[in-house]
Amino acid sequence: MAWHAHAPIGEENARRGAALAFGRALDLLPRFDRAEVVLCLDADPLGPGPDQIRNGRAFAAQRQARAGAARFLRLYVLEPVMSLTGANADHHRPVHPGEFRDIAAWLAAELGAPLPRPDLPEERVRFLRAVAADLLAHRGTALVLAGEALAPELHALAHWMNARLAAPAEAIAPVWPPEQGGPASLADLVAAMRTGQADTLLILGANPAYDAPADLGFAEALRQVPFALHHGLHPDETAALCAWHLPAPHPLEDWGDLRSRDGTAAIIQPLIRPLYATRSSAALLGLLVGQLDLAGHDAVRETWRASRAPAEFETWWRRTVHDGVVPDSATPRLDPPEPRLPELPPATPSGGLALVLRPDASAWDGSFANNAWLQECPRPLTRQVWGNAALMGPEEAARRGLRQGDLVRLEAGGRSIEAPVLPQEGIAPGVVVLSLGYGRERAGAIGSGLGANAYALRRTDALWTVADAGLAKLGRRAPPVLAQEHQKLEGEARELLPLVPLGEALHDAGTSPAHELDPPGFYPDFPYEGYAWAMVIDTSLCIGCNACVLACQSENNIPVVGPEEVERGRDMHWLRIDTYVQEAGGEMRPGFQPVPCMHCEKAPCEPVCPVAASVHDHEGLNVQVYNRCIGTRFCQSNCPYKVRRFNFFGYADGQEYRNQGAPVIAAQRNPEVTVRARGVMEKCTYCVQRISAARRTAEKEKRSIAEGEVVTACQAACPTQAIRFGDLNKPGSEPSRLRREPHHYALLGHLGTRPRTTYLKRVRNPNPALEEGGG
Amino acid sequence: MSATADKPTLPPEASYAGMIGRVADPVLERRPGRRWWIGFGATLLLTLGFAVCLAWLFIEGVGIWGINTPVVWGFAIANFVWWLGIGHAGTLISALLLITRQNWRASINRFAEAMTLFAATIAGLFPIMHLGRPYRFYWLVPYPNTMEVWPQWRSALVWDFAAISTYIIFSILFWYWGLIPDLATMRDRARGRIARYAYGAFSLGWRGSARHWQRHDALYRAMAGLAVPLVVSVHSVVGMDFAASLMPGWQETIFPPYFVVGAMFSGFAMVVTLAVLVRRGLGLQAVITERHFDGMGKIVLAGSVAMGISYLTEWFTTWYGGDRIEYEHLAYLFTGDYAPLYYVMLFCNVLVPQILWLGRMRRNIAVAFVVSIVINIGMWLERILIIWNTLSHTHLPSMRHVFYPTFWDWATLGCSIGLFAFLFFCFVRLVPSVAMHDLNKRLHQEKEARG
Repeated sequence: MAWHAHAPIGEENARRGAALAFGRALDLLPRFDRAEVVLCLDADPLGPGPDQIRNGRAFAAQRQARAGAARFLRLYVLEPVMSLTGANADHHRPVHPGEFRDIAAWLAAELGAPLPRPDLPEERVRFLRAVAADLLAHRGTALVLAGEALAPELHALAHWMNARLAAPAEAIAPVWPPEQGGPASLADLVAAMRTGQADTLLILGANPAYDAPADLGFAEALRQVPFALHHGLHPDETAALCAWHLPAPHPLEDWGDLRSRDGTAAIIQPLIRPLYATRSSAALLGLLVGQLDLAGHDAVRETWRASRAPAEFETWWRRTVHDGVVPDSATPRLDPPEPRLPELPPATPSGGLALVLRPDASAWDGSFANNAWLQECPRPLTRQVWGNAALMGPEEAARRGLRQGDLVRLEAGGRSIEAPVLPQEGIAPGVVVLSLGYGRERAGAIGSGLGANAYALRRTDALWTVADAGLAKLGRRAPPVLAQEHQKLEGEARELLPLVPLGEALHDAGTSPAHELDPPGFYPDFPYEGYAWAMVIDTSLCIGCNACVLACQSENNIPVVGPEEVERGRDMHWLRIDTYVQEAGGEMRPGFQPVPCMHCEKAPCEPVCPVAASVHDHEGLNVQVYNRCIGTRFCQSNCPYKVRRFNFFGYADGQEYRNQGAPVIAAQRNPEVTVRARGVMEKCTYCVQRISAARRTAEKEKRSIAEGEVVTACQAACPTQAIRFGDLNKPGSEPSRLRREPHHYALLGHLGTRPRTTYLKRVRNPNPALEEGGG
Repeated sequence: MSATADKPTLPPEASYAGMIGRVADPVLERRPGRRWWIGFGATLLLTLGFAVCLAWLFIEGVGIWGINTPVVWGFAIANFVWWLGIGHAGTLISALLLITRQNWRASINRFAEAMTLFAATIAGLFPIMHLGRPYRFYWLVPYPNTMEVWPQWRSALVWDFAAISTYIIFSILFWYWGLIPDLATMRDRARGRIARYAYGAFSLGWRGSARHWQRHDALYRAMAGLAVPLVVSVHSVVGMDFAASLMPGWQETIFPPYFVVGAMFSGFAMVVTLAVLVRRGLGLQAVITERHFDGMGKIVLAGSVAMGISYLTEWFTTWYGGDRIEYEHLAYLFTGDYAPLYYVMLFCNVLVPQILWLGRMRRNIAVAFVVSIVINIGMWLERILIIWNTLSHTHLPSMRHVFYPTFWDWATLGCSIGLFAFLFFCFVRLVPSVAMHDLNKRLHQEKEARG
């Protein structure tokens, strides 16, 4: 019997790079919380993936633009396609993937490596010289990160540079080191299947028939296996080729355990009894080894009992289940040896079109394709929903005579797929980008038949970058569905999301006039005597990850409307992330602005409602009375922020999209929040149900609601804590303090709406050496 | 206009009985022709289509239309404003011309008032169809209820609801009051039993005595005096639906008068359209003469000039105000997604009617007909563009979205026109299309003037 493992989005290059540099496998965990200057070479530490929350939190800790005490790291990013990290960079350069070898070598040479300096264009040299000087000036707090798409040698070079810079990063042994009896590779398995060595195949929770690189020919090989069995959440592409599919429970339906990125272990408790007659993989494996009634609970306990004294175990187990994590279980930090300078790979000619493959921010490797919330969540930067597209720079598209929505055939290694073109800022010339996770045939009611399958072009030797890809225009169109069109802010419109350099932001107190927050009026102010709820969003900290959008959706029973309705401009998200790009100094600088309801004190929606469905409460909330609403939609037409959402159809009430009305899906609704009917307007409530719960608790205990006691769903989910909520009547509350910051502003404050949701300007920390010359 | 009032509009050889015969005979004596039956059948089909549109709307919801998150208003509101605008001219012609003693109105006021009635009624349907929950429309009415909630008085929609319902009720009364003497004439001339009874019942025992006439005229003039401010107020309130807001392109003090002028303009254009059709269909060439078209042409021309000045004022104040959002809105009008339609609208409303400066063209019935149709297309475009341009291009660039009409948008608009025509086909077969008593009063004056 042999064990093979397959992860479509793995870390092979990073592991091999570490092996090259240190002679052993290890994982490097960057410590943003101790960094001041960070250079990312095609690395996306803030992007989707298991590191996003940890890195995002630490990044935010170092990007606090506050009057008096500003800690603000500087981020440089060079990458072929703008990632979330690139979008948050102070300086971003789109770079063709073929260029990274020379860039890394040049930088290493500048940092003192005995390497020949490759020839680079002057502009690039100027940029790298400024970056290298900045890195060297911050020895001990400077960090270089290499992305998984780079060759192992370049990872090793990054390790070398980090050692040189005494970079704030921690080395740990990989949580599952392959040399300690780990699984064999998928390629070996396919070979065994071809030769007939593998006559019985058990596939647990994997879908290689869909997500294996196309050149392996897994699906073909699987057909030759006499007995194959698939165990997984859904009957997927692999299950279709197996003799049997065994339904698995969702991880939240059964007991289990897992390890986080740094090795910390956690016990999974079921949140619900299994909805269907399913067996967990632990139970299945138990059956195979003769334990006929092994329950998940027992299996997990047995695993953890092994290393504990029997007398202490029950206490330990109870505490661990209560806390959620196993204390002190993180993998010990290593003291890595001095890294070796690697042999550099030969320079690759970067003439042709490079196809860059990336995980999808929603579908990831395709395993989340059937999740309707994720499908409808606008991807960061592209704002695309319900599909993927061939992304390329606007100049590249114009050069090839392609418009948004033109179908193209992408070809590599004799295989081809069709995808629509979506021009996007921040992509290097000669690069076309496609995200993985689409083109699924058997994902389920939601995920099947969406987008183009990038795995078809993936090869085992070219997992992330396929050089010399072919691209041909087909003459047909299939415009991608976008939740928002691309938005460039120009001229005075930049006041909507001001992008200000660090020094200016904190010293120029005159940028946000007080009259915009508190404009004069004819009427006396309404006294808010109890609580006065308010929210402040720090746009410098918003990395655009969309966690708040989904948290809001799940908390507030926001229905999914499907691609046709989004295309008509009818998405229902109460909280959206407006993404604006500003062009300056030859760079594209995006900014993210989460927009919930502003809860204006002088709300334009209120006086126009003929039936008083939109009203103000005594704590400053603008509330919508659903059963009073008759659907005139005057409130939304008069809302300058357009944060209201209308039930054009019964999205949650009889006219649901696809399977969204199924009882098992309806059962996930939050019982504290009304499910809205057709024909009524709805919008962000500041999670009034949470305020109400806090009030009940406080009143029972005869006290007032404490600072931080009410946490809105979006705030709770934000990895960078960019969203702060609290009581304005308390001078020490978070929103009160943030409102006194010099870079605080109200969106469209000049309209006199007196919004309760306000913002901090997006602060950059540019390198003066690059800023003055215009980069 | 005074020139028209002084000049004879009716043929010199006309007799009192001949005039009555011309108007009453098509209803009482002549059988409906094939053309009438075809028109009646076609518009009946469209009316049934309107019923289908309504049914599908109530089954599926307002999502069947092209409205979206930023452009939450669409055809329903534009159709409402357009129909209500058309519904202006009847009462205005009748009342304003009555007060200013423009007796030539007698030839056109009856069907113009009927037009008002039908148009205003259809207009009144649209705001209800527009609602997300139409079965709750009566919550706009201030009635004592167990919820102890009143309508929200600051909302222009509440004023609107009051203004429209007042206007419709008033229009019915005004039309009916002017109709009573003619119904009595019909009763007297009718030969069928049913017709005699029906006209008899509706003529409320009118005998034509001096006392009857004295009371009739006193009330009629008093109502006309009420009608003029009412006409001005109702469309001013419709203008406030937009003006009492915060949106660029809507928040303008010019809106109430601008809407009234627009309403009068489109209403007169529709009267011209109908006058051509009624004149031709019922053979009323002697009753509705070229002189009438001349007079109406002048009013339409004045309306067009006023519209042009309104547009200019709007552009100027936007430019002069210097507000960024307003300025962007102005740029969007001329260069945005709907710019071609905006140019078509300017062509229809401002440019085309200028041909009416030429008296020859005003008196040319074919020209009058084409111009009036063009104006009504232009005015419909104006109404939809007021909605689209503002809502598609709001303060935040992220929420800008274009409106794409659906089949049901067009079907509802088209079928509402069908319903209007259907009502008119019924009207011309049931009621005298011209005010006979007023017509003969005018004839009397002209004969006296001639000596």
